Amino acid sequence: MPHDNEDVTVGEMLRRHGISRRSFIKFCTAAASAMALPPMMGRAMAEQLRNARRPSVIYLSFQECTGCLESLTRSFAPTIESLIFNIISLDYDDTLMAAAGEAAETARTKAMHDNFGKYVLVVDGSVPTGAGGGYCTAGGQSAVDILREAAKGAAAIVCVGTCASFGGIPFADPNPTQAWPVTGIVGDKPIINVSGCPPIPEVITGTLLQFVTTGKVPDLDEHRRPKVFFGNTIHDRCYRRPFYDEGKFAKSFDDEGARNGWCLYELGCKGPTTYNACATLKWNGGTSFPIESGHGCLGCSEPGFWDKGSFYSALSTPAWGKAGETSPLEVLKIAGAAAAVGGVVGAASAGVGRMRQHRQEQQSADNEPKGG
Amino acid sequence: MDLLTFARGSGLKVALAVFCLGVVWRIVAFALLRIRRDLNEPRASMVKSLGGGLLAVGSRSWPHPEFIGRTGAGEALGYSYHLGLFAVVLLFGPHITFFGSLFGVTWPALPSSVITVISVLTFTLFLAVLFRRVTHPVLRMLSNFDDYFSWFITMLVIVTGLAATAHIGGPYETLLGLHILSFDALLVWFPFGKLMHAFYIFPSRAINGSLLARKGAIS
Amino acid sequence: MSRLAQIPIRIEPAAAADGLGGGVTAVLHEIVTLLERLATVAEPAAIDLRSLPMSPQDRAELQRALGEGEVQATLNAEGISRIQETRVPGVWWVEHRDRQGELIAELIEVTLVPEILASASDEIAAGARALREQITLTAAARRR
Repeated sequence: MPHDNEDVTVGEMLRRHGISRRSFIKFCTAAASAMALPPMMGRAMAEQLRNARRPSVIYLSFQECTGCLESLTRSFAPTIESLIFNIISLDYDDTLMAAAGEAAETARTKAMHDNFGKYVLVVDGSVPTGAGGGYCTAGGQSAVDILREAAKGAAAIVCVGTCASFGGIPFADPNPTQAWPVTGIVGDKPIINVSGCPPIPEVITGTLLQFVTTGKVPDLDEHRRPKVFFGNTIHDRCYRRPFYDEGKFAKSFDDEGARNGWCLYELGCKGPTTYNACATLKWNGGTSFPIESGHGCLGCSEPGFWDKGSFYSALSTPAWGKAGETSPLEVLKIAGAAAAVGGVVGAASAGVGRMRQHRQEQQSADNEPKGG
Repeated sequence: MDLLTFARGSGLKVALAVFCLGVVWRIVAFALLRIRRDLNEPRASMVKSLGGGLLAVGSRSWPHPEFIGRTGAGEALGYSYHLGLFAVVLLFGPHITFFGSLFGVTWPALPSSVITVISVLTFTLFLAVLFRRVTHPVLRMLSNFDDYFSWFITMLVIVTGLAATAHIGGPYETLLGLHILSFDALLVWFPFGKLMHAFYIFPSRAINGSLLARKGAIS
Repeated sequence: MSRLAQIPIRIEPAAAADGLGGGVTAVLHEIVTLLERLATVAEPAAIDLRSLPMSPQDRAELQRALGEGEVQATLNAEGISRIQETRVPGVWWVEHRDRQGELIAELIEVTLVPEILASASDEIAAGARALREQITLTAAARRR
C-alpha cells in the first residue's frame, strides 16, 4: 500500500512481515510446481524477486460482485498464497485500501505516473457502455474512461474473473447496461484472462506471480487464458470419470447413485465443456470442488455460461429456454404448431393431388371407347 | 454464440419444428389421396380384408423362401443396422435424458460400454451397406441422390457420436456440437427423403395387404 | 455423500512384482544423468515429482529404490518441510507442506546440499551485527 517505502525490495518487505527467506523459497517452489514450470525456475524466481523492487499493481473494480477479490483475500487460515500481497506493491484497490476519496484517486494517478509502462493492471468486473458509460462511475469518471486511461501505462492487463474476461453476469441476456469485457474496450495491450466465477485463488496468484517475475505473458489458449491452468477440462481430470465411462449416472440429487459418487452428467454437469483447474487444484486450499461436493459444474470459466441453458439440464438436452429447463409442454407447443401448419400444407398438397387424379381419370375415361 | 449452444438451442428448435411440419405434411398429403375404387366384387369381408392388411405387415417383414437366396443377405444387413441404431439411440444414457427432456418420460439404459460395442458394429455395417449399394449392379442402377444423401446424413450422426463419446478428433464441446448439429440436419432432411419410410412402411403394407385380401389374394 | 476414500476406484498395479514400473525406471535414469552432471560441472538440478504421473505404488517403488541416507532435516517455515538424504550421495527427497499440512511441493534435488538449508549470505552480516549488540546489552545489564 502507498504508505510503505516504495524503494524497498521484495526481500526486505518480506523480512518486515516476518516471512523468512526460506518461506519465500518454499512459496516460489510450490508456485512453480503448480504452474508446471521447471523446479529450478522456482528457485530463480525467488532470488530474482527478493532483490527486485516490488512491482506496482493497480487493481480496478468495475461491474463486479467483489467475489473475485474475496476469493483472493479470504482464506480460513493464512496461506502461502497471501504472500503475494507482500511481493507486489498494491498501489490501488478501492476495496482493500484504507484511503478514500481524493486521497485514493491521487494515489492511483501518482502510481500510474511513477510506474508508467511498468505497472500490472488487474481488472475485475465488466465495463458498461450504455447511457454514455453512466451505469458504473467512480469519482465522476465512467468505468470506460478509467479503464482506457489506466490501460495506457500498463505493461499488461490481467482480467480477474469471468466478468472482466468475458462479460459475465452483466453481459448475460439481455445485457441492459451494454456491458463489455475488458477485451471489448482495450485492444493494444497484452491481456491475460483469468476466468472463473470466481477464479481459484492459486490461479490468480500463480498468473500474477509468473508475470511479475518473468515479465512475459504465459502461454494462452484461444480465450487468452493461461494454458497451464485452463488447458484441460474438468471432465479430463474428474475423479468420477470411471463412472461416466461406465454409464453410471446419478438421476437426482441425493439418490442412490449420487450417494455412491456417480457421474453428475444427467444432473447438468458442464464439466466436459469447461476448462479450469478445479478438478486438480480444487478450492479452499485443496479441500474440494463442486463435483466432489455433489453438484455439477456450472461452467463458470467459459464465455456466456449464463446463457447456455439450465445448469441442471444435461449437455445432451435441448437448451432453447431463456430461463429454466426445456419442458415437454414447450416441446408440445412447438410440435403442435408445426404439425398444424404441416397439416394445412398437406391438405393443400392432397387437394392438388386429388385434382390431378380427377383430371387423369377424366382423360382416361375420355380416351376409352364408349360402351360396355 | 458457440457451436454447441446453437446446435442444442435454436438449431434444435428449428429442426424439430421442420421435422413435425414436414412429417405431418407428407402423411396428410398421402392419406388424403384417393384410392382408385375397386369395382370388382369383394372376395372377402371388410373384417377379413383389414385382417389381411395387418397380416401383411408381418408377412412382408421377411422375404418368401423362394427369394431368400437373392435378398437374404441384404435383408439381414438391413435388420442388423436398424437394430443397432435403435439400440444406440434408445438405450444410451445421455440419449434417454434427451428424450426425457422432450417427452417427460425416461427408461433404463444399457451400460455405456455395451453401447460403444454396438455403435462400432453399426458403423461397420453402415459401411458394408454402402459398399453393397455401390457394387450390386441392380442397386447401383436404382440408387439416386436421396439414397446416398440419407446414408450420408445418418452416417454423419453416427461418426460424430462415436467421436464425441471417445473424445477424439478435437475439443469435446466441438465434437458434441457437431453431433447435435448433424442430428438437427437429419431432422430437417427426414421428411423430404426416403427416410420417410419409417412412417410409410407399415401403413403402406397394411393398405396393400387389405386391398389384396379384398381381392382374395394372400400376401 | 460418500467420502472420497470410499469411492471404489481401482488402481491398476504398475508392473510385475519383481520389476520396477516403467515410470520409476525413467525417473531413476534421469537422476543418474543429473548426478553425472553434478559430478562433472557441479551443476545442481531438481525433478518436480508432482509433474510426473505417479501412482502410490510408483512412489513407494521410487522411495524403496533410493532408500534413506544419514541426514534428515526438518524445516519449519510457514509449515513443515522434510528434507531426507537418500542412500545415493547427492540425491535428496524434499517435501514441502503448508501450515495446514497440505503437500504443496515435492522434489528430488540432485545437489551437494539443498540450497534451502543453507543460511543466506546477505543475512549473515546483519545477523552478526544483531548478535554483537545483544552481547553488549547483556554485558551492560549484568554490570548493573
